[in-house]
Amino acid sequence: MHKTLRPRISLVLMAVAGVLLWAALPVLVSRHVVDLLVFAGIYSIAGLGVSYLLGNCGIVTLAQSVFYGIGAYCVAYFSAQHGLPSGVGFGMGALLSAAIAFTVGWPTLRLSGHFLALATLALGLIGQTLFLELDWITGGTLGIGGLPKLSLLGWNLDTPQRFYYLVWPIAVLVMWLKHNLTHSRNGLAMRAMRDAPDAAAVAGVEIHALKVKMFMLSAILGSLAGSLFAHYVGFVSVDSFGVDRSISFLLLAVLGGVHTSWGPALGAIFVTLVPEALSRFGEIHSVLFAMTLVIAVIFLPHGLGGALERLLRRKAVA
Amino acid sequence: MSVADNSALLSVRNIQRSFRGLRVLKDVQFDIAPHSFAGLIGPNGAGKSTLFNIISGFLKPTSGSMTFDGTDISPCSVQERSRRGLVRTFQTPQIFGGMTVLENLMVGLHKNSRSGITGNLFLSRRSRREYREAYQAATSALDRFGLAHVGSQNAQSLPGGLQRMLELARAYLGKPRLLMLDEPSSGLNNDEIGQLTQALHQLNAEGITILLVSHDMELVRAASIIHVLCFGEIIATGPLAAIQQNARVREAYLGA
Repeated sequence: MHKTLRPRISLVLMAVAGVLLWAALPVLVSRHVVDLLVFAGIYSIAGLGVSYLLGNCGIVTLAQSVFYGIGAYCVAYFSAQHGLPSGVGFGMGALLSAAIAFTVGWPTLRLSGHFLALATLALGLIGQTLFLELDWITGGTLGIGGLPKLSLLGWNLDTPQRFYYLVWPIAVLVMWLKHNLTHSRNGLAMRAMRDAPDAAAVAGVEIHALKVKMFMLSAILGSLAGSLFAHYVGFVSVDSFGVDRSISFLLLAVLGGVHTSWGPALGAIFVTLVPEALSRFGEIHSVLFAMTLVIAVIFLPHGLGGALERLLRRKAVA
Repeated sequence: MSVADNSALLSVRNIQRSFRGLRVLKDVQFDIAPHSFAGLIGPNGAGKSTLFNIISGFLKPTSGSMTFDGTDISPCSVQERSRRGLVRTFQTPQIFGGMTVLENLMVGLHKNSRSGITGNLFLSRRSRREYREAYQAATSALDRFGLAHVGSQNAQSLPGGLQRMLELARAYLGKPRLLMLDEPSSGLNNDEIGQLTQALHQLNAEGITILLVSHDMELVRAASIIHVLCFGEIIATGPLAAIQQNARVREAYLGA
């Protein structure tokens, strides 16, 4: 009894210390680092959408930038252009993203493997072009500026420090949801169809419908992240929603580990902070970052999250 | 719920199937009586796998019809057939390699629960109850099928014999009325075949109808009625002893 209790206490203590550190961080580090951490929070929400699909369903998506863009443009269009409350932008972004994910996902999610990845890449490219061409909504290359700052219960989220306290609880909520889903009826069904689709069908799993639903859920998370991004930066332009953004969402999901619920957050912190830390080495920093990535992927096949989870488990057993 | 004794649980009528002009199934018809233990045998290339895939819904027949418990199931998907109680296993075990043995079994209960993704995300009461019930049912099935010692292991790491048992246990948890087994003894040693035969007899005694495809005469002996498929047609039906005396069957197996 005593033996099993003690590691639990140490884990609880570690969790409490982690929360305290998280809460104190904006005071401890520079404003610039807090700014990066806000981006890490935003990216981890979009990355979790990618990770839901890859980790549970085995689907690689390169279309997340489209939903990220839709979330951002909806906020810009409804709040900045039409002066509607920010909730409208968030809601419309989520609705529109889910609708597009459904429309595109229904035919394409019958594909599998590389073909599906290519189809999502095509969606990413089409989205990027449309954001540029539909300039009466998106402002084209000029973008849309002057987005109002978010305020929550009369509290203006106009500094990186304040936004930090909004973004990260949302990211943690999304991680908690992923954890719940993984350990549920449909979470099991998804992993089953990923591993052996025929046997999953015999077990009654409606494979295609489940994939479409997950694609929609992933798109809603992308849109949520995009809406937060737009409010934080106060300005949206087509440069932020290219396929390179999709690739970085995929990268941070894989780097963080798609089989853990909190891996994408670690991945997001890595891709925002590490290039910054390496920039002091001058021009060569992008090469160094690429090398760090390669090393991380080779030595941590289950991602940062997987490695850390293993470490904690060993701690808990010891 | 109860089916009259004279009406078949599965009834296959005039099933034909061609692949690019090659007629694999010419005209297949047979009945499976409720609660029976039937075997389907035939030489290589007779069309057994094709027939199995058609009955379970993975392939569409070129023509013909099938009824299950009196309902025409021809237009039904694999999932719909499974919900009606028609559950199959595969020649090479189809296990969920990235999941534990226990989780594999829990998937077997998928169709008997209802909770949706939203409920799962937000831990609805139904979601939690269904997960708990699946966990309990899967745990008791572990004992029954001799998998208790590997319950928390990754299913991929199981030896072939246990993978077969896992597949059988998962099918059982889906509450099948007709359990269709495709070469369930391939890759098993004699001890394991003995255990498998015993498990099948027990399931049959509990009222589950069994249709077995096998090359393994030791296992086929367990069936009380045997259908012989040869060149796309059922050429004989009856108990094993009668089948072994049948002239057409002898010709098919020993060559003309």
